[in-house]
Order: sequence, then structure tokens, then C-alpha cells
Amino acid sequence: MMEKQYTDVLIIGAGPAGLAAATNLFESGFKITILDEFPHPGGRLLGQFHEESDGSWWIGRQVASELVEMTKQPNISLQCGVSVYGLKQISEGWEVLSSVGTIETKYLLLATGAAEIPVPLEGWTLPGVMSIGAAQVLTNVHMVKPGDRGIIVGVNVLGLAISRELAVAGVDLAGIVLSPNNLFSGENANPVEAINLLMSLSHLAPSAWMRLGGSLAQKMKMGKWVSTFFPRQGMNVWDIPLLLKTTISSIQGKKSVESVVLADVNSSGQIIAGSEREEKVDFVALAGGLYPLAELAAVAGCSFLYLPELGGNIPLHNEQMKTPLSNLYVAGNITGVEGAQVAMAQGKLAARSIGNDAGLLKNGREKIAEAMDEVHQVRKTATIQFHPGIIAARKRVYEMYDSLQKESLTS
Amino acid sequence: MSNSIIVCRCEEVTVENLEDAYHTGAITSRQIKMKTRATMGACQGRVCRNLVDLWMGNKNPLASKGVEQLSYRPPVRPITFGELAGEE
Amino acid sequence: MSKLRIVNHPLIKKGEQKRISFTFNGESLEGLEGEPIAAALLAHGIRILRRHEESGSNRGLYCAIGHCMECRVDVQGKGQVRACLTPIVEGMEVVEGKQLENKITGREAP
Ligand SMILES: Cc1cc2nc3c(=O)[nH]c(=O)nc-3n(C[C@H](O)[C@H](O)[C@H](O)COP(=O)(O)OP(=O)(O)OC[C@H]3O[C@@H](n4cnc5c(N)ncnc54)[C@H](O)[C@@H]3O)c2cc1C
Ligand code: FES
Repeated sequence: MMEKQYTDVLIIGAGPAGLAAATNLFESGFKITILDEFPHPGGRLLGQFHEESDGSWWIGRQVASELVEMTKQPNISLQCGVSVYGLKQISEGWEVLSSVGTIETKYLLLATGAAEIPVPLEGWTLPGVMSIGAAQVLTNVHMVKPGDRGIIVGVNVLGLAISRELAVAGVDLAGIVLSPNNLFSGENANPVEAINLLMSLSHLAPSAWMRLGGSLAQKMKMGKWVSTFFPRQGMNVWDIPLLLKTTISSIQGKKSVESVVLADVNSSGQIIAGSEREEKVDFVALAGGLYPLAELAAVAGCSFLYLPELGGNIPLHNEQMKTPLSNLYVAGNITGVEGAQVAMAQGKLAARSIGNDAGLLKNGREKIAEAMDEVHQVRKTATIQFHPGIIAARKRVYEMYDSLQKESLTS
Repeated sequence: MSNSIIVCRCEEVTVENLEDAYHTGAITSRQIKMKTRATMGACQGRVCRNLVDLWMGNKNPLASKGVEQLSYRPPVRPITFGELAGEE
Repeated sequence: MSKLRIVNHPLIKKGEQKRISFTFNGESLEGLEGEPIAAALLAHGIRILRRHEESGSNRGLYCAIGHCMECRVDVQGKGQVRACLTPIVEGMEVVEGKQLENKITGREAP
């Protein structure tokens, strides 16, 4: 039998949110346990890097190891390779079921991050087809190229950011193409939408991708469509052909990926007959976007809200990162898809909320207000933003929380 | 779009399977899942749940979002009988 | 060194990792200590990790972070594990995920 473990604060997820929460909570003297199923701590920080506006590089792996260094405290236990598969509320807090047995905790913080939305198309179950995040993890975390030559499907923030990372690592890319135009692609298959997206984000990001989006968008505003300005063979950005007039119609191969069939599209994303051609690749990376991974919040019995700006269904929570369930907190991408710096600020805020609720935080109100302010600041200056409507959507979540709390008090 | 595209990788459910289920009366995400096993495989819908909901929303905008789609059940990760029994 | 391994990354440096050996479907292979099974296999160009239980179709790594379950393989002494999360250790015996028999349809194990 595995012995039941006891802890004061259990954090599920050792990504930027979970690690930041732990490092901001250890002074409370609480016994803190962090669990993560990935073999290394850091979450999706491990695979990220990007260029800052001053030309320096922000390297997620370094940020992660600094955070991990700070968790080396006698009252923090960081356990990797441990999956959590269930939880339930008990009178004294929460009981969590994991691959190393049951853990009882007073406070529970869910920091499980995000998962990827797929891009289904003919041939996408062949070995060699993977999510864009998988290509990132292979390349930047395990340092094995996803293949000899690949293609990126999906023109969106994550797809572009990771394409650049692959190029930096020397991965050969045939290009970035639009998502296939099918029932599942929504706006992602439409070249005009793709450019609109680049435009809406161009003020944020320092990178050439986004600037390119901005200048294209300017031209489009003058009433012309990409066809006038954007060459069929694409435009090279960091040596990667960005093919905004090209889509993918299928993936081919006997045992694993051998090639893809590409085709030209018109301004509404429809394939131009006769334009199909084969491109030899041995891997395909699908960039369909991210959604909050909130399954444990659902199992806990949390209520949910559907907000596309935040990536889909998110557990109800207030600005202090508390859910309506007692002693259950959330932080990071589980509350909505954003960059790692925001997740860290949220982790710190959640830590202060927990400290305050436990009566261990001096000047609790001010400390919490300060941490909330920090989240706002980081959000405003984030170099990567996944949706332009994030701030307004967040506000709606907090309002909903408040009105539901009022309702339950009066009923 | 070709109807042979797989939507649910775990259970190999195709667009055609979804269409068939819809035309024989499955008109919400939940009913589609029961009928086709889409989202009910090893990944527990982590990969295709969004797709099935999206597809359903396109077919039947009245199949309300939210309420019934969040039916996650533990265990959310594969476990062995040993783990269930609390053994090492 | 396999040609898929990235050795001179301009920004990311990884510490030295010990070379160890493990087997896949009985074949002896070399990998780096601590890296997941799926990465060690890909470095050898091996992408097929599993055959679909029912159809037998080839499957490989899809999400790389434990979400999709596509990479399930059998490890001697451990049972079924996710190849994207499970680090290789010296002497580990790994076998691909197999198509199963189905008594209802009468299909026999391949
Ligand atoms: C594939 C992918 C690529 C991304 N790339 C970028 C990028 O390039 N730039 C960018 O700004 N943002 C990127 N993001 C967004 C990213 O989510 C945030 O940048 C940030 O990492 C979120 O931090 P977090 O702490 O909320 O979650 P994460 O960093 O995702 O950490 C969550 C951790 O929880 C663990 N976990 C989840 N469920 C369980 C469970 N049941 N049991 C045990 N452990 C569990 C996971 O293993 C993971 O380590 C990416 C997201 C994904 C999914
Ligand atoms: S590749 Fe998705 S779980 Fe391993």
C-alpha cells in the first residue's frame, strides 16, 4: 500500500504559474507540494524562447531553471513524473488522487495550463503528423528535430512563434500554409482573416512576423486583397516561406508521412481547381490554437464559462484566482490562454490569496491589490498575446463570479 | 470536405460517422458521443472534444454550448489497477 | 550521432547526457539518459510507436506532453506507458503498442 501523503498546499502543474505560486508562498511556512506529470519542471516554459524588442532573447528554459532553483526550500516538495487523475472535496480541504497515491491537502491550486486544438484533415493520424506544440517540445526541450523537412499548418500566433523557433534550431521547413478549409477550420482557413489576425497583433510583438502582418494589413485597408500584393510563392520571413494563398488538402504516406498535397485558394479560402501539387515532407505540424486544460476543475465540480477570447471553457474564478469552491484556486492558462509572464504573475497572485485566506499574510489586502496590479501590467506589455479581446473577457468572468456569489448569498 | 476525415483519433470516428449519427437522431454533442464513441477513447476527448462541439454547433446551433459538454469523469489519466488498489 | 539530433543550437544548451542502451521491439538502440522513449526513438528515425488497437493503423507521437495517449508503448515491468513522458533507462525493454484481437468481430491478434 502507498501511504497517504499530507500537505498544506498542493499545486498541480509545475509550469510558470505553479512554480511562481510556490516560490511566493514558501515564506508562509506551509508545507507545499507541487506535482507535474512531465519528467522535468517548467511546463511549457521549457520550449519557449522569443526575441524582445531590444533584440535580446527571452529564454523560457532559463526562466524555468531560475524558478526551480527558488523552489529548493525545505518546505517545498517538487515531484515530477506524477500524474493527477482525480480529486474530491473533503471537510478539511481536498483529496487528490495521483500516480503516487492519495494526497490530502488543505489548499489546492490548479495550474494545469493549456492543451492544443487539433486541425483534422485527410491523413492526420499518420506518424509524423503532430501538433505544433509537439514540434516545439521535440526541438527545444528534447533537442531532436521533428524530421528532415516539414510543413506548418495554420497561420496563427503560436504557429508563427514556433515556426521561428524551429528555424532557429535549423529545422528545414517547406513553409507555413493555411488550415484546410473544412467544417472544423472556422476562420483559420481564410487568408483575409489570417492577415487580420496578424494585423490585430502587430503592435504587440517586436518580431518581423508581426511587423509583416502589420504592413500587409495596411495595404489591405486600401481596398486591395492579398492577391495584388502577396506573391503566390509566398514571402520569406526568416527563410521560411509564409504561404498565405496556399492551403493543405491532404497528408500522404504509406507507413508514415511522405508528402502533403497543397493547393492555391481564392480570397474566401476556396481551393482553385487544378492548383493542387505535391510537396515532399516527413513531418507536418498542426497549429490549431490552445484551450485551457481544465478537466480537473470540472471533476472538482467547478462551474464553467464559455469565452472564446480566453480559449473556450474556463472554470469560474474571481480576480484573486479563487473559484467558488472553498480552498480551490486556479492560476495560469487554466484561466485563459496567455503568455508565460502573465501565468507567473497569476501564480504570485494566487499564492497571496492563499496566504491571506489562511490568515498568514500581513497587509493582505494591499499585497493582493499589488499582485493584481502586476498581472494587469504584465498583460498590457506582453510580447505575445493570443487574442485581442482578453482584457474585456477577463472582466466578464469576474463580474459573473461576483453576481453568482451575490445570488447564492441571497438565496 | 471529404467525409472520410477522422475526427476522433482514439476511436477512429469519421465525419461520415458523425453525419450518420446526426441523421439518425443524435442532435446534441452528448448524444453524438453516445452514438459514435467520439471523445470517449483513451484521451478522453482531450484532443477532439472541441471538434465535436464545433461540428455540432454548426449542425445545430440550438444544441446549447456549455451545459452538457463538460462531462469530464475521473480518472482523467490512465491508471493501472495496482494504482487504483493503492499499490506501488 | 543521428542526424536529427540538434547539437549546436544557438540559444539552448543542454548539459551532457550519458549514452545508454535500450531495446525497441527487440532491437538494441542507443539513447541519452533521461530523454523520453519517443525522443530517443525519433532520433533513430523511428516514428511508429503503436498500432491502433482495432484497425491496426500506424500511430506515432502527436502532442508530446501526455495529453493525447497516441504514444502508448509497453515497457517491460511497467506495463503501458506514454512514450512522450517516460524517460529511458539503461536496459529498458520497450515494445510498440499492439493491435488487439477482437472476439466480437472475430479478428485475431496480428
Ligand atoms: C504546446 C504549447 C506551446 C506553447 N507555446 C507557447 C509559446 O511559444 N509562447 C507563449 O507565450 N506561450 C506558449 N504557450 C502558452 C503557455 O500555456 C503559457 O506560455 C504558459 O506556459 C502557461 O503556464 P501554466 O503554468 O499555466 O501552464 P503550463 O506551462 O502548461 O504548465 C502546466 C503543467 O501542468 C502539468 N499538468 C497538467 N495536467 C496535469 C495532471 N493531470 N497531472 C499532473 N500534471 C499535470 C503539465 O505537465 C504542465 O507541466 C504554449 C502552450 C502549449 C500548450
Ligand atoms: S504524444 Fe500525446 S500522450 Fe504522448
